[in-house]
Parts: sequence; structure tokens; C-alpha cells
Amino acid sequence: MIKDITIGQYFPGDSVIHKMDPRMKIILTVVYIAALFMVKNFWGFLLTGGLLIVIILISKIPVQTVLKGIKPLLFIIVFTAFFNIFYGTGAPVFPDIGWLAWLKWGGLRNAAFMVIRIVLLITGTSFMTYTTSPVMLTDALERLISPLRYIKVPVHELAMMMTIAMRFIPTLTDETEKITNAQKARGADFETGNIIRRAKALIPILIPLIVSAFRRAEELADAMECRCYNGGDGRTRYKIYSFSLRDYIAAFIVLAVFVSIILINVFI
Amino acid sequence: MSNIKTEIIKTENISFSYNPEENSALVLDGIDLEIEQNSFVAILGHNGSGKSTLAKNFNGILLPTGGKVYACGIDTAQSDKILEIRRNMGMVFQNPDNQIIATVVDEDIAFALENLGVPHDEMVQRVDEALEIVGMTEYKHHAPHRLSGGQKQRVAIAGIIAMRPKCLIMDEPTAMLDPKGRKEVMATIKRLKSEQGVTVVLITHYMDEAVQADRVIVMDDGKILVDGTPEYVFQNVGLLHSVALDVPQAAELMYKLREYDIKVPISVLNEKDCVEVLSKLLEGKIDNNHREFNL
Repeated sequence: MIKDITIGQYFPGDSVIHKMDPRMKIILTVVYIAALFMVKNFWGFLLTGGLLIVIILISKIPVQTVLKGIKPLLFIIVFTAFFNIFYGTGAPVFPDIGWLAWLKWGGLRNAAFMVIRIVLLITGTSFMTYTTSPVMLTDALERLISPLRYIKVPVHELAMMMTIAMRFIPTLTDETEKITNAQKARGADFETGNIIRRAKALIPILIPLIVSAFRRAEELADAMECRCYNGGDGRTRYKIYSFSLRDYIAAFIVLAVFVSIILINVFI
Repeated sequence: MSNIKTEIIKTENISFSYNPEENSALVLDGIDLEIEQNSFVAILGHNGSGKSTLAKNFNGILLPTGGKVYACGIDTAQSDKILEIRRNMGMVFQNPDNQIIATVVDEDIAFALENLGVPHDEMVQRVDEALEIVGMTEYKHHAPHRLSGGQKQRVAIAGIIAMRPKCLIMDEPTAMLDPKGRKEVMATIKRLKSEQGVTVVLITHYMDEAVQADRVIVMDDGKILVDGTPEYVFQNVGLLHSVALDVPQAAELMYKLREYDIKVPISVLNEKDCVEVLSKLLEGKIDNNHREFNL
């Protein structure tokens, strides 16, 4: 159903990963990304890749779904790999064939590492959105960046905007459907013609939609004022997050991987 | 002090215009009104009669261009008291979709409490309590957009009730609902009045809802046309028709019967009473001394 569209891709479930504190998930994802970029050799990738496989298994998200997530970025991956091949150093792969002299082992190695790195990066970070609902993500993000309010960043306002935007996605999707049907009933044609024609055909949908969104915004503002909305000052929170044992264990594992990668870089 | 009647809303000759500088037409024109505590008042009027504007003046969403509004004894023009006024004068609007802020039912109900800075433990308790009052406890963790219209509107009401207001102002809360949703919402409103002692101001254009109130105020062109008990107001069938309003079907039937000089009581407003009167009439218990009555 079209109403179920959410930002990112969230797969509801109740695995340990799903139940983790969203703040911890964000922090650990950042640590994981940092670790990935510090990896310099095969052993590092074995560790980070191994960690990812463990996460996939625990979260019970089908491997096909994970692979599908990589598909849209396949072009970028191939593209970067291709160019990395040319900029290699070291011994040539085919020393006997003159016109292939530019192809060096170092280039192949760089390309391979780049592919692994990007794939691990995409799948690793998408696990945050796979296992955390958008609402929890915004909530966690608000709490994590809340110290920024001391340097006059409107943290609460940003979070409120994100929350309202997410709340209105299904409502406005519904409305788009209704307007589309209403215009179709009046003979509007959205299916034929070239791209420009079709884009033009969208105008009779967009204008009523925008007008109605503004009307909704006004009503929502009144309703929020009626519920004593007064900005972020002096607000208390209904939802309270607290780290539990599983969050600490996860943190320990990810940090262990992080430290191991540093050690591997130093000693190998 | 309890036997002194107290008014929760008092307006003193208020007028309102959306563009006072340009001398645009007055939406409200000299409204004097007192609404008593724990009463159930219905405000009727066709579109553009100023009834929604009046409602928004009750809790300071709009401020009158002229005159004064006192909500719980506080002048709504006092901007430093506005939160106290709004907390006590809860307001529910027509479209539940445009009132719900969060993506989960219980988080939405907590919104007003978060704004008021209620401590967390008390908040949890008040959210549960509000859900219980509107009968939506089992939907606590649902997404609002998957609920029916009537359920959404009950969530919106719960979001207001959680503030524990003294007065509930409802601006056509059933206008966008199907008959089942309307019944749910009306039952909730009546329960709030009887069990929680909340004053209810219901703006509506459904006659069968207005009949359930203690007092009906009919507005036309920014003025109060009739004000009184439903029995009193719905006698004025001709007057109501002149401002494009209907009367309840039972009252209409009684009115028509009286046009034929059949003496039926004037205070019949619902189907049950109507059936009773008609059956008495058919049995000949009501004296029909002016006309032959054949069916």
C-alpha cells in the first residue's frame, strides 16, 4: 500500500539490534564508518566484514534485502573501482605484455579494497535505518545533537519539523491519490506523451496539493497552540531512552573491532 | 461558594474582524455571552455565521477587535496568561488529521503535557488516563493514520483531555466523520461532561447533536439570533428556516402538525418522544377538537 512509504527502509522486528537504543546505534554506526576508513589491509576487512555478517544474522533481515540495497549504487562502485585500477603503483600484472604495462598490482588492490569498503559502508549504515523506525531516528538524532543548542543551533525546531514532516507523509500521500483520481475523473491524462508532457500533467495535482498543505499547516499551527505549544523551552519528554546491558555489549564489541583495526595497522 | 453560579466563559460585547484596518466586514458583531461551568452548550449557525471565529476567541487563538473575553475569569488579552487559558480551555477542531502531531497515539497525547513541562511519571499516568476516558487504550501504540475517523478524533480529544481542561470547545468535531464515528465522538463528549465535569461548548450543524445540549445558541451574521434550551430554540422553526437552518425532524413534524391546528406538545425533540406523542394522538388521547384526523 502506498500509505506505508517511509523515509529510508525500516523493517519492523524485535531482534536485539531492533531493541537497541537508537542513540547507541547512531554512535556505533559512526564508529564503524571511522573504522572502515582506517582499514589498510585484508585482516581489517575480515574483522569489519565479520562484524557486519554477525549483525545481519542477529537482526534476521533477509540477505536478499541487504543485497538489493547495494544495487542502486552499483554504478558508483564500478566507476570508482575502474578509475582506481589506473592509478596503481608497484609491479605490473603482465610484465611481458607491453601495452598492459600500466596495469599494476597496486591498482588492482586499491580497486578491490575500494569495492569492499563501499559495500561494507553501505550495508553497515543501512542497518541503522533497517532496524530503527524513522521516528526513533529523529528522536535519537535530536538528543544527540542537543548540545548544539548552546551554540544557537535550533535543535528542537529542526526535530519538530522532521517529526511533523514524517507525520504528514501518509496524509499527503493519501491526498495526492485523491487529487489524482479527481483529476483523472475530469479527463486528465497522466500516462501518455513524452516526459515534458507528463511533467506538465502533474501541475493540476501539485497545485491543489500545495494549497491544501498550506491550509493544513495553518490548522495544525492552531491545534498546536491550543495544546500550549510554546517552542522548545521548558518542555519535558514523554519518551525516555536509557542504555541497557545490550547497548553496552554492542558498544564493547564495536569498540573492540575499532581498537583491533588500529592494532593491526600498527603491527602488521 | 458552590451555590454561586460561575461562568467559565464570559464575553462582553465582542466584535471581530479579520482585517480591522481595512474596515472589512465584522465577523462577530456585539456578542454578549456567559457560559456556566459544567454546562453543555451547542452553538448552531450556517457557514459564515461566525461560530468558528467565536470559538477561537474563547481561548485566545484570536483576540477580539473590540470588547473583552474572559476565560475562567482571565482576560484573554493578557498574553502572559495565555498558556493557563489554553490549558483550561481545550479546543478540538474539525479535521483530526490536522491536529495530530506525533506518529504514535500515546506520543501524540503526551504532546500537550510535554509542552506544559509535566514530569515524566505523571505524564505517563495522565496519557493512560486520557486514553481510558476516550476508550482508546488498546490503540495506545498504533499509528494514527491507520485509525478510523472517529478513532482519530477521539485521539485528538484525548490529547486535549490530558491537559485536564475545565472546558472543552469543539469546532464541528463530527463534521468529517461517518455516522458511526459521530456516535462514538458524541458518546465521548457526553461522558466527559457527566463523569469529568467538563464544560462542553459544541459547535455543530447537526441538529440531532444540538438537541442533546442543555443550551442552544443560534448565530447568524455575527450575532446571536436565539439562545435558550433546545425545547425553546427549536420552537422557532420559522426563524431557523429563515437563516437556512433545519430543526430536528421531530420538532419539524410537530411544527407541521400544529400548522394544521393539531395540538401537540411543543417540546418534542427526539424520536422516542415523537413516537409517544404520535401514538397518543392516533389513539385519540390528545384532544383533536379542531380538525378531522384521518390517516
